[in-house]
Amino acid sequence: MSTKEPSEADILRPINTLTKKYFLVYGIAAIGLLAFIVAWGYQLQKGLVVTGLGDWGSGGGSTWGLYIGAFIWWVGVAHGGIILSAAVRLLGMDRYMPIARLAEMTTIGGLSAAGFYIIVHMGRPDRMVTSIIGHYHITVNNSPLVWDVTVITAYFVLSATYLGLTLRYDVNRLRDDLPDMFEPIYKIMTIGYTKREDEVIQRMVWWLAAAVIIMAPLLLHGGVIPWLFALLPAMPAWTGAIQGPMFLSIALMSAISGVIIISYGFRRAYDWDHIITDDIFRGLLLWLGFFTLLFLWFQLQAVFNGIFLGPLDKAHAAEAKIAHPLYRIAIGLIFASLVYIFAQGIRPALFSKKRALVVSCAVLMGTLTEKVLFVVEGFMDPHFNIYANTPGSYFPSAIEWLSLVGTTALVVLLFLNLSKLVPVVELHAIEHLRGEHEHSEEATEPEVEA
Amino acid sequence: MSTDDESFHPLGDEWEDELETMLDDTEYDSDLGMEMAQDAMRVTKGELSEAEFHEKHHEAVMEEFGEDERPTKEAYEAAQEEAKGTASRMLDAFDGDGGETRRETMKKMGVGAAAVGMGAFSSTRDGPMESLSAEGGHSETTEHSDTQWGMTIDLERCDGCLTCMTACTQENDLDAGVNWMYVMAWEDELHEGHEEGTDTGVYSSDFNMGSDFNMLVRPCQHCTDAPCEKVCPTTARHTRDKDGLVLTDYDVCIGCRYCQVACPYGVNYFQWDEPHTDYEDIPKAKDRDVDSPDEITHAQYEHGERWVDSRAPRGVMSKCTMCPSMQDGQQGDEKVGTSACETACPPNAIQFGNVKDEKSDPYQHREHPSKSRAVIRLSSEHTDSSGIPSPETIDGTLSSDDDIESALEKFENLDKETLSIMKAVELVSDRTEPGDEENNSILRKEQEVVAAVDAFEQYVDLETDAAITQLQLGDGSERQARFRIQQYTGKPNSFKLLEDVGTNPNVTYLGEQPGPEAEQVEGPTKYEDVGLVDKRQDLLDEETVGGIDGVSL
Repeated sequence: MSTKEPSEADILRPINTLTKKYFLVYGIAAIGLLAFIVAWGYQLQKGLVVTGLGDWGSGGGSTWGLYIGAFIWWVGVAHGGIILSAAVRLLGMDRYMPIARLAEMTTIGGLSAAGFYIIVHMGRPDRMVTSIIGHYHITVNNSPLVWDVTVITAYFVLSATYLGLTLRYDVNRLRDDLPDMFEPIYKIMTIGYTKREDEVIQRMVWWLAAAVIIMAPLLLHGGVIPWLFALLPAMPAWTGAIQGPMFLSIALMSAISGVIIISYGFRRAYDWDHIITDDIFRGLLLWLGFFTLLFLWFQLQAVFNGIFLGPLDKAHAAEAKIAHPLYRIAIGLIFASLVYIFAQGIRPALFSKKRALVVSCAVLMGTLTEKVLFVVEGFMDPHFNIYANTPGSYFPSAIEWLSLVGTTALVVLLFLNLSKLVPVVELHAIEHLRGEHEHSEEATEPEVEA
Repeated sequence: MSTDDESFHPLGDEWEDELETMLDDTEYDSDLGMEMAQDAMRVTKGELSEAEFHEKHHEAVMEEFGEDERPTKEAYEAAQEEAKGTASRMLDAFDGDGGETRRETMKKMGVGAAAVGMGAFSSTRDGPMESLSAEGGHSETTEHSDTQWGMTIDLERCDGCLTCMTACTQENDLDAGVNWMYVMAWEDELHEGHEEGTDTGVYSSDFNMGSDFNMLVRPCQHCTDAPCEKVCPTTARHTRDKDGLVLTDYDVCIGCRYCQVACPYGVNYFQWDEPHTDYEDIPKAKDRDVDSPDEITHAQYEHGERWVDSRAPRGVMSKCTMCPSMQDGQQGDEKVGTSACETACPPNAIQFGNVKDEKSDPYQHREHPSKSRAVIRLSSEHTDSSGIPSPETIDGTLSSDDDIESALEKFENLDKETLSIMKAVELVSDRTEPGDEENNSILRKEQEVVAAVDAFEQYVDLETDAAITQLQLGDGSERQARFRIQQYTGKPNSFKLLEDVGTNPNVTYLGEQPGPEAEQVEGPTKYEDVGLVDKRQDLLDEETVGGIDGVSL
């Protein structure tokens, strides 16, 4: 651990500095987003025919593909992010307080990307409001897609409230050191603030965290999102109760990996060795290992159920899955990550932040590949598998690939913008690190010894 | 769904209180009434079986009323068809009733429980509910529609000519590869198909078997429990109340394609790009006499019109519609109760109509497949024996000293086998009047057969032992006649596609059911030979931006 004392100046550094590197990253991200928006404009003009998608069945295509795969992946990142943050608050895992806000911002970013994908994926996005809101009272009773939109919206509101409430404390106290040009925004954020509310806000945030922890497995990434697929008997590659836990484990893996990458970036950029400590990376890595283990276990269950004596449709789907080279690569990446995490747990000398970064990227690539494959697999081995043109073919078009660049750029830009506006590390965390936080409690998790 | 947590009744507390007051006004035990009502409600929700319900209150009912006329389990099941109503629907029946006020009517019901306990009581013989629903039935409750368009498709008559597919494509101006109607040949372990090397595979005889291929004809199944409708986030995919057609409102659909994902049959086709036929050009198809494309594309609803028919515009989902513009009479009365594919089918393998109507073609064909096959074949224009002579022709041709041989010689198209089948049909026919509804051609043709046989028998007795023997009708009994027909037409299996998925499809098939491992094989007619495209992906791939040929996930 560093001997430096964490200070307010540390967390204000991103706001009050402007470097060439920042502009460079900003420029690249902006170009990435712009490139996709142009491509999307072309798609709107020509129709979805510009994608690699098609009709499953006699048509020999895949109805959904990368757009939906990436959509559920981003939702997973988002849900995992807020679960991480809620766990920190609810279970008193104070050790991770410095990254709690980054996790919350990841949620906002992930949900924005996911929401964008919903619109990009539709044939008539212009009708989003009239057709969906207009019939909401009917469709909410039975359409998993409507449940989906509902929970994502609810989650967005919940996360934004959560973030907004905790920011009031910081912004109020650090106001004098924040740039004047954002004055109106700070005014709105801290409207009606008094110091007496701190305790109330603490309680509200606790309850919001409790709601997140309860809702996430039951309704969100452990419920409604997998139900979009798991409830359909037409596609044996998707059906089954295992999808709930499976999706949740993927969400948590992706989110932890995402937070590791973002934390790494901020630590490096702003010399936060003493704030986002090695210990945090070690801890996150162990959690990542835990959820990776769960994920591999669920995969084993799902596949083995199909290939041992599965009903024919399920058996075909499972056989096709394990035979797919990309599936093997994805699972291989994730398994290798688990092996490394396990090894560095036993021999701490094997740990390095760079390795943690590599593992996180591997896991994210693995989960994204698995998600896109998962979506496509449904159409390749349907229950009614009579068509000569099924399994069909699907390969994402350039525009679809570009959507990954665009949404990633969107999230990067969100972080770049937010980091100039508000502290991305909580004031509470600094206070806690200095040992002066009034609410500090015993950490429930013993720190890993280096 | 309850409007109030406290109330067991769908209409809520207030309504429940009102009912209770009414019950108090009767001479019977209100508590028992309310309790039974509550339980009856549970029956409708499926929490309690009818049998349990019956048993639970039997003693109390006997004590209170001296009799328990509530239907037993078996009776209830039989009656259920008629009185499917839920509480609210039964009670809806009181609305708009010109005669008595609701309160009076309720009182008249006497047995208090019946007031709220609807379902379980509704089928009581001579019970109060029956008369009530009869007098109060209101025409706006369309969920009980007597019409459900559907099909019975005889796969053994299908010769795989693909005429239905091209007819559908023309009728709806579909893009290449959008095969709302799809016909395929298939094979599995138990059903070997056509062998290589034999000529066309189509039998030279015009007998019922169309070919030695196993065929499957796949329009949209217009499921009663359509998964596509269930998952739709917009209600664009909906079931039209008046006739059970499952349609897509092209003005509402957002193109999320979840319907295509959820449909186990794969009947949906998305409009990935601009359709090749402009909207204004829709009326230009041949045989169309309409002023505006709207007359073809828009269908009639209780409240106005919706754009649900013909090819979809860009960005929305489409599938077989079963031609609502025809069913609504917008293409002329003669097309009501027909579909483009049915009309086009040369061997009459497709029977379209109201599957709920006992006299309709799909119903008759489903319930009496062999007889219906015989009737269709006897009167089919596409067979060598076309045209059963009319009674007038028979009267003008035969004389009383004719015997079977000499009589048959006088008709060009009539041979002994045809006469034998005609007589067999006459023997098994229960002479049901076809009625004046649409799609009753099977019963109508059956009547023609019967009339012809009756006329024939004015001159030649076909019921003598010698005649019966000559016509190979065994002992001349109905049973033997049935055998004779089955010998002639076969006795097909019937099935619905993917019944295990629980969609309740409205298409019934006659013939062999493809097993779970069945695979499509090349059929007797190639898609490209009749101008159709099978694998649409090949066309879509041409427009893909930066796609890589031959690479697939």
